[in-house]
Amino acid sequence: MNVIMIFYYLITAALVCLLGWNLIREKKSANDMILGLLVMIPLVLRLLRVK
Amino acid sequence: MTLQIGVLLLLMVAAYAVASLKKLSVELSILAAAVAGGLGGAFLKTPPLGELPRHLVEGMFPYLDVMLVFSTATFFMALVSESGGVNYVVRGAIKLFYNVRVVALLVLMIIILIPGALTGAGSVSILVVGAPVALALKALGIPERKTAAILFIVAGLAAAAPPVNIWAMILCAGTAIPYVGFTYTLGIPVLILGTFTVLWLGLKKEGGMDKAAALAALPPVPPGMKGWRVLVPFVVFFGMVIANRTWPFATPIFGLPLEFSAAAFTAWLVSPRKPDVLKLALNTMKRLLPLLATMIVVGMLQQIMTATGVRGMISYAVISIPLVLLFIGLAVIIPVSEGVLTYGAAAILGIPLIWFFDSIGLHATVAIAGLSILWPLGDGLPPTALIGRLSVMVSDYKGTYWSFLRQTWVPWLVITITSILMVVYSAKLSFLVKWSM
Amino acid sequence: MSAPESKPLAHPVRVKIVLAVLAAALTVAGGVPLFKHRHFGTPFVAGPGVTKVIKLSDYSPGLKGRFVDADVFVMEGAEPGGKALIMANTHANEPAGYLAVKILIENAVVQKGTLYIIPTINVSASRNTKAGDGYPLYYDIPTDWGRVRFRMGTRDASPLESWPDPDVYIHYPDKQLLSYLDLRNTNRTWPGRPNGPMMERVTYAAMELMRKEKIDLAFDFHGAETMFPVTNCIVAPQKSAKFATLASMMVKAMEGFDSHVEPSPQNFRGLSHREIGDFSNTLPFLLEAPIPFLDQPTGPKTVKLLLDGKDPFLLSLAKKKKLFVSYDANGWPMDKRVGQHMSTTLEIIRQFSKKTPDRAIRLSGAPKYADLVRDGVGKYFHDPAKAEPGRIHYE
Repeated sequence: MNVIMIFYYLITAALVCLLGWNLIREKKSANDMILGLLVMIPLVLRLLRVK
Repeated sequence: MTLQIGVLLLLMVAAYAVASLKKLSVELSILAAAVAGGLGGAFLKTPPLGELPRHLVEGMFPYLDVMLVFSTATFFMALVSESGGVNYVVRGAIKLFYNVRVVALLVLMIIILIPGALTGAGSVSILVVGAPVALALKALGIPERKTAAILFIVAGLAAAAPPVNIWAMILCAGTAIPYVGFTYTLGIPVLILGTFTVLWLGLKKEGGMDKAAALAALPPVPPGMKGWRVLVPFVVFFGMVIANRTWPFATPIFGLPLEFSAAAFTAWLVSPRKPDVLKLALNTMKRLLPLLATMIVVGMLQQIMTATGVRGMISYAVISIPLVLLFIGLAVIIPVSEGVLTYGAAAILGIPLIWFFDSIGLHATVAIAGLSILWPLGDGLPPTALIGRLSVMVSDYKGTYWSFLRQTWVPWLVITITSILMVVYSAKLSFLVKWSM
Repeated sequence: MSAPESKPLAHPVRVKIVLAVLAAALTVAGGVPLFKHRHFGTPFVAGPGVTKVIKLSDYSPGLKGRFVDADVFVMEGAEPGGKALIMANTHANEPAGYLAVKILIENAVVQKGTLYIIPTINVSASRNTKAGDGYPLYYDIPTDWGRVRFRMGTRDASPLESWPDPDVYIHYPDKQLLSYLDLRNTNRTWPGRPNGPMMERVTYAAMELMRKEKIDLAFDFHGAETMFPVTNCIVAPQKSAKFATLASMMVKAMEGFDSHVEPSPQNFRGLSHREIGDFSNTLPFLLEAPIPFLDQPTGPKTVKLLLDGKDPFLLSLAKKKKLFVSYDANGWPMDKRVGQHMSTTLEIIRQFSKKTPDRAIRLSGAPKYADLVRDGVGKYFHDPAKAEPGRIHYE
């Protein structure tokens, strides 16, 4: 894996962390919770090198 | 088979409608349509029930890289805005050109165009530069109603403007047509239509204030903000893009997300005040969530529509319409599809349309450009109305949504006619593609 | 846009946990099949004609140990002669060529000359899926002794091997601008570079194979939509056109199927039929067989459609003269498509051997178009249960 690809995994991981943190802080909107989780699914699968 | 697929289509439409009536968000309504279509399809084993989770998850991937572009680009523009760069430029435009109204309007138009052109999302234009530009337009004596209309139309054109046009990217990816040759093919119509829009809606001064009052009304610029501080991050971004183009075999492939990340890092470095990066990133992701989720659910819907044959049937219907009717129909089909499906419309309707146009001798690249300046108009139409609503919000217009939309009718019509003519005469306009290469 | 929500949820933590569990369940239920697909292998039995199996990286160390490194089946005749390379799965969602090479590997015996067969030139694409297009993950071919399962791949390598995509892909060495996706498309990255992006390394290794082994003929097997103008044909550059034309005429006259000749465009770079000819002494041929499954206006994307090519929408469009091939209620079955690839290839080899006897290639045991249409493709697959373990290769 080259350096640039590693950067992309880092960017992806950063997005997962930000979405996760927002999800933890979310108290009001079930809608935003669902959307946050949906957006995280492909990012997590990419980090796990599944797809 | 047609009947079965027709029933599935109705089922998906019904699920969408019920979800919308239950006041679910557009994203969840699209998700409901996808799941309903998948479950309905399972009765006919198209696809079998056991494969449904895989289809739903696989459908989340087509726009993964687009999501990374959105996220990094929006974060970059948010940093530029937070550091006072946007306010600096807007204030500069008013200071220099207040008395030369046409120039002031054109500069403000360019300011709206840049974030959308770079990110492919008109909403980023509104979110990042919308508020200060709206203030500047008001200072120029343009009522809120017209300010909202200008923001909406120009932000839509920004989304279509090169270098990043998501509709064109989706269409090119889906039809195996190179995403090249769009610079002038999109750039020239966007600039002409943008100029027409700001002049039509903004040339007449209706009240307003003098220059000193206008400047006082604009948000302050943080001390130490200078032109070079605004410029350097953009130089980094374009530098990386241009380096790749100029020395392609000596430069590694950075990709847009990394280019925007590097630009964001630079913006943070040169900013006179250091914004709280973590807070800004969290807020950016929160604001972007509906947009990112749209990319996800639209991909899922697309996957289910293809697996069930619904997409194929729609393609078939589009190809079977008599040509003249199809050309006229574009005026309605394209914006309405965007209003319902946002970018998904490009994949579901656009791909078969482009295949068909290509097969009857139209120039695919010009036709894609033509369609992709028409699509953003749909961002003002319900149920999504993403950019329309944002425009109303940032310009502080208190009237009804429809009264705002009525304000846009002349530019709307001109854009529609331009777009359809671009498709119809695409072969004759292919010189634009050659210029761009 | 988010739905307006004014009131806080009564039990936000509970709601969140339930939603997170549901999301995790969906991730696992959807992710596991994708993971399994990426690591699934179809057994290829090295038939009596296979003398060795080597790796593409043997010709270019830049591929060594990489996921994308491909197997090369070598079939050497007792008598020296010419050499041919056959490549399939350049686009792994066009499977007729893949099935054709499996049949060759398991059945053919070379008497004179050498055959090199790469069943999957784009390994990553064959282990990738086309997100958004709702393909099945696998398709099964029936045989007398059971079913053989194959992965349905896609056109482009996976981002797991090649990430990120560029803004635009700039072709090496011509600098022609191509779609960003084409960086992952091994029919745009020819002739490649030894240490370039991953798919350029793959095509470079294949170029090196052709140059070092002095390959005379190279075949690249594809499939194309019935609504795409370049379908059901042999694409050949000027230097290969003579053999392509003779073969096209012969298969029409002797075997009763059409496969016309399309000239390789001079100005469209990166394609095998263009660059192999320009960057080596090899004569390239790209074979296209129609694949209705890939057309846009079709019903559900099922295994059945992939295998029999029958679709009511395409039938209706055929009546409106909107297709580029003849199409009737019989569809365009896989057996026919595999047969076309097989017979066209054998005929080009025969024509070349006739004209250049010192570089002739002679082989037996390969079924032709009529055999495949009559018997079905599965008839020619060998049962791995009956093969020696050392002769089974998972592709």
